[in-house]
Amino acid sequence: MTGPALRYDGVSVGYQGTAVLTHVDLDVRAGQRLALVGPNGAGKSTLIKSVLGLVPVLAGQASVLGADPSAARGQAGYVPQTDTLDADFPVSVRQVVMMGRYRRIGWWRPARAADRRAVAEALDRVGLADRAGHRFGTLSGGQRQRVLLARAIASEPRLLLLDEPFNGVDAVSQDEIVRVLRELSAGGAALVISTHDLGVARDLADVVCLLNGRQWAVGAPSEVLTAEKLRMTYGGHVVDVADGQMMLVEP
Amino acid sequence: MSWWDDALHRAVAEVVLAGALAGLIGVHVVVRRLSFFTMALTHATFPGIVLASIIGVNIMLGGVVAGGIVAVGVVALTRRRGQDASAATGVLLSAGFALGAALVATQSGFSRDLSSFLVGSILTVGTQDLVVTAVVLVVVAVGLTVGARPLLQIGFDRSGAQAAGLAIGRWDLLLLLTIQVVVVTMVPAVGTILAVSLIVAPAAAARLWSDRLPVVTALSIVFAVGSGLVGLWISSRWNVAAGASISLTATAVLAASWLPARLRTAVVRLPVAPAGRA
Amino acid sequence: MIAPFELPFMARALAEIALLAVICGPVSVFVYARRLAFVSDAMTHTVFPGVVIGFVAGGLEGLVVGALVAGLLTAVVLTLLTRGGRVSDDAATAVVLTAMFSIGVVLVSRRTSYTSDLTAFLFGRLLTVTADQLVETAVLAGVVLVALLIGARALLFRTFDPAGAAAAGFRVGWLDLWLNVLVALVVVASVRAVGTILVVALLIVPAAAARMVTDRLAVMAVVGTVLIIGAGYAGLLVSWTASLHYGVALTSASSVVLLLVAAYLLLIPVRLLRARRQRRVPSARRSSVHELVG
Repeated sequence: MTGPALRYDGVSVGYQGTAVLTHVDLDVRAGQRLALVGPNGAGKSTLIKSVLGLVPVLAGQASVLGADPSAARGQAGYVPQTDTLDADFPVSVRQVVMMGRYRRIGWWRPARAADRRAVAEALDRVGLADRAGHRFGTLSGGQRQRVLLARAIASEPRLLLLDEPFNGVDAVSQDEIVRVLRELSAGGAALVISTHDLGVARDLADVVCLLNGRQWAVGAPSEVLTAEKLRMTYGGHVVDVADGQMMLVEP
Repeated sequence: MSWWDDALHRAVAEVVLAGALAGLIGVHVVVRRLSFFTMALTHATFPGIVLASIIGVNIMLGGVVAGGIVAVGVVALTRRRGQDASAATGVLLSAGFALGAALVATQSGFSRDLSSFLVGSILTVGTQDLVVTAVVLVVVAVGLTVGARPLLQIGFDRSGAQAAGLAIGRWDLLLLLTIQVVVVTMVPAVGTILAVSLIVAPAAAARLWSDRLPVVTALSIVFAVGSGLVGLWISSRWNVAAGASISLTATAVLAASWLPARLRTAVVRLPVAPAGRA
Repeated sequence: MIAPFELPFMARALAEIALLAVICGPVSVFVYARRLAFVSDAMTHTVFPGVVIGFVAGGLEGLVVGALVAGLLTAVVLTLLTRGGRVSDDAATAVVLTAMFSIGVVLVSRRTSYTSDLTAFLFGRLLTVTADQLVETAVLAGVVLVALLIGARALLFRTFDPAGAAAAGFRVGWLDLWLNVLVALVVVASVRAVGTILVVALLIVPAAAARMVTDRLAVMAVVGTVLIIGAGYAGLLVSWTASLHYGVALTSASSVVLLLVAAYLLLIPVRLLRARRQRRVPSARRSSVHELVG
């Protein structure tokens, strides 16, 4: 693959002409893991939605998989936050993962053996092969997140966006998700992960982007996740650094 | 004597067709939580039907036009963020009902029309109504089968479906318009109350028996057609309004499904902890 | 513009609407905030069997008692059904509505010429309201207002933050029942005089229209009340003029509702202007058809 999977140059994004997030410069290549870090309301989800072509780019140059974001709609994989989903909906785990194949198999054609295999493999990779027949809503929060990850895997995306994948997730599921994400990027996928967990960002990402209304810093975790830059991003909140551990303390 | 037999036969055929139609669309209404919208549609198509009969055009056309306006209005209102869709639907319901009633009241002998609008007149169904219902049934069945995957994806995960490139606004509108066509088809024969009852109750009952959409859909159709036939039989046996007895049969099916489901969940929940009063 | 209201029956009709305005303004605010539009619509239908049984058993006096029993029964049933059952709230509401209404239809269809009963139930008899009925409405209105004032703070807390209210020791289930009972009482108080068409509009439209102009609940209640009185006055006048001078049989209930809806539509631009001025960042969550029923 040539060129970056995702490239933003001085981009502003927002709704109805009002910018939510400005000054975004990103360059994510195949196999890279980018973490979007910032407080709640910083614009992380908005940025992800702009990559998906769901929120307009108001200024600057944006390219997603070599095209304009709106033209690239449906090309990037997306893992939404699980709490936006209808837990009552009568849909099995296997069906949810099969949705990742819908773009390939279309509306009408029955799923082929290859599709079924891709679904089974994706579920196996997230460690939920035994839950395929369960209703989605009966799983725990962490398991739901893993099912959505399996759906993204089944769609074999070159660029995968995850919106707060570690929110409300138990430790076992978190380790499982981190492992799968590493495997995916080793396989050549570019990943964009939004999180407010600095520890996860440091451990998982190759590149960290600090956001709060605008982009404050971008670069390797060791360069960006410093007390000074975090304080700048989070405003008045105090950051303590001890033995490489960081803590955000409310003022 | 023979004409009476004929009317009853036609009523049976209409109940079977309308039941299948209601069971089919009902699954979408229940899982997408569109019962109130359906109720509002039955009332909002009312002025269209009345106006059509006053100016002498096909009443189904009037209903479709009025319902289409409402469906578009609801989609427009729900797409604008921060609007309360429940209240907006309620306003549309009130407006449609009042307008229809006002139009009816300008005609003489209107109370007869009003009550047949509410409870229908299944025993006066003509061959033409049967044909229309059958055609709509085929079209809706084909449409829902072709659109099954997008509808499933959108119903379960809107933002994911949007990210996957689906035009969810267009699909929403399509679903609402389909519900509306079903409602308009059913109302002349079975009335508004029965239309809502036959769409919602069998599907809600079927949902209690299974988590799998194909099974839920099949059960829903069976329940709807079954309630229709049993209700019709009760109606002719004890001389009560057909629409009402069918609706009560459908309710009985739901109640009979609800009790075992309630017991199942009670048994499942028991070992965990006694549920709080929240 | 005053002359028609010098006639006693027009004055009584206006007084009835004014009484209802005083309770429907505040109650509709809660209906709006708790998204009980469908529940309100259901109540107006479920009192029907009560009305029929009450009328058969005790004539006009039994009618209110029957409606009261049916209304309270529905309030209890809906409160129970909408708590944690597997049937989703709106489906449960729809089924209760259709089932109860069907019972009413079965009851009237056993008698001859039931169509006029249905018509009276739909339209009410606003122009034949008696002084006794006014007193009845006033008493029920007083009860509703007192109950609303006592419960207002708890109801607001529960509306805004159910989990927080439960944690603070409020019984959310009882609060829900409280509000449902209030809605039922409003329906019972008004259905005989103004009919279901008008009751359902009075419970839904005023707050929805007032919401266009203000964000504050207390102001919404006042604006809602004013809107009802205004629409009631104008509606009665319009239907009076139409039938007297133009020979058009325009039912007063319908014209009041249509004027209320017109007010709602006219106020939409105000809402849009205000939204533009505030420029709030919209949250992208759950702006879906799922929300058709709250």
